[in-house]
Amino acid sequence: MTRQEELLALIRNLRTAVPEVSGVMVASADGLPIVHDFPEAEAPRIAAMAATSLGLGKRIATTLRLGELQETVIRGQSGYFVVYEAGEKGVLAVALPGGANLGLVHFEAREAARRLRELL
Amino acid sequence: MEPLKILVAGPVGAGKTAFARSLLGEEALTTEAKVSEALGKETTTVAMDFGVLPVGPYRVHLFGAPGQARFDFMWDVLAEGALGLLLLLAGDKPEHLPEARHLLDYLLSRHPIPHLVGVTRLDLGRAWEPEEVALYLRLPRERVVGLDARRREEAFRVLTQLVEMAVEVHDA
Ligand SMILES: Nc1nc2c(ncn2[C@@H]2O[C@H](COP(=O)(O)OP(=O)(O)OP(=O)(O)O)[C@@H](O)[C@H]2O)c(=O)[nH]1
Ligand SMILES: [Mg+2]
Repeated sequence: MTRQEELLALIRNLRTAVPEVSGVMVASADGLPIVHDFPEAEAPRIAAMAATSLGLGKRIATTLRLGELQETVIRGQSGYFVVYEAGEKGVLAVALPGGANLGLVHFEAREAARRLRELL
Repeated sequence: MEPLKILVAGPVGAGKTAFARSLLGEEALTTEAKVSEALGKETTTVAMDFGVLPVGPYRVHLFGAPGQARFDFMWDVLAEGALGLLLLLAGDKPEHLPEARHLLDYLLSRHPIPHLVGVTRLDLGRAWEPEEVALYLRLPRERVVGLDARRREEAFRVLTQLVEMAVEVHDA
């Protein structure tokens, strides 16, 4: 498998494990989309915002001595946007509807983020 | 000491983070990520630079914006409540001038605050001088200053000038 195929497989597996996910984004740590299944027109902005959220989250975690950042969770009234740390080079972002089982999502997405760290 | 918020914006590689670092040293709160495309530097700001420092009787809350256009949603977030704007621009990157003009117009249309333009990297080959940048941006000559963002005393001189402008307008 090429790297691109492996990344696509990673997104697919995450979706299979957590069907309620409404979008998955793998982006570079500096906010460029790598692979994703969001609508194409939305992807650049989502990738940039994922990098901003994680970059700021990391800084808050170190400043408040929370230990290494795992993820940032944005929770709105009707949904979530969760961004997972995936090494120095990448981030994994997941969009979810409001009723999502966050525990399950964390479990699967953290595993995917670990895999991603090796791929990037 | 009275708090006073200053925003530093400008295109990528202008020296916004270098400016914050030379003023704040270890205290600078930065959000750098490794760059994934050729930018001529190792890291780029993805959220903001931040720090607090005294300037005369004021406590300046310094906020630096990311420079890459894809992070433009941060501009308004960071500009909220700012009393002065410093637009930094790399003199050796004239290709960034249109973007600098757009950024300045955009920010000033929404936040009409006292502003200065700082031209950095003047020691590098074929750099645009402050007077040329002033003409391009249609700003009075005295609103555009040259500085090396890596040098604390130069950064502090520019920040002090902007703080004085901000205070004058704010108190009026
Ligand atoms: N030679 C020279 N280098 C400078 C001068 N001012 C700043 N620099 C360098 O220019 C680079 C600017 O990079 P940053 O400070 O990351 O730029 P930035 O505006 O924060 O960029 P983004 O956050 O990516 O938008 C740094 O390597 C500085 O050391 C100068 O006057 N002369
Ligand atoms: Mg920066």
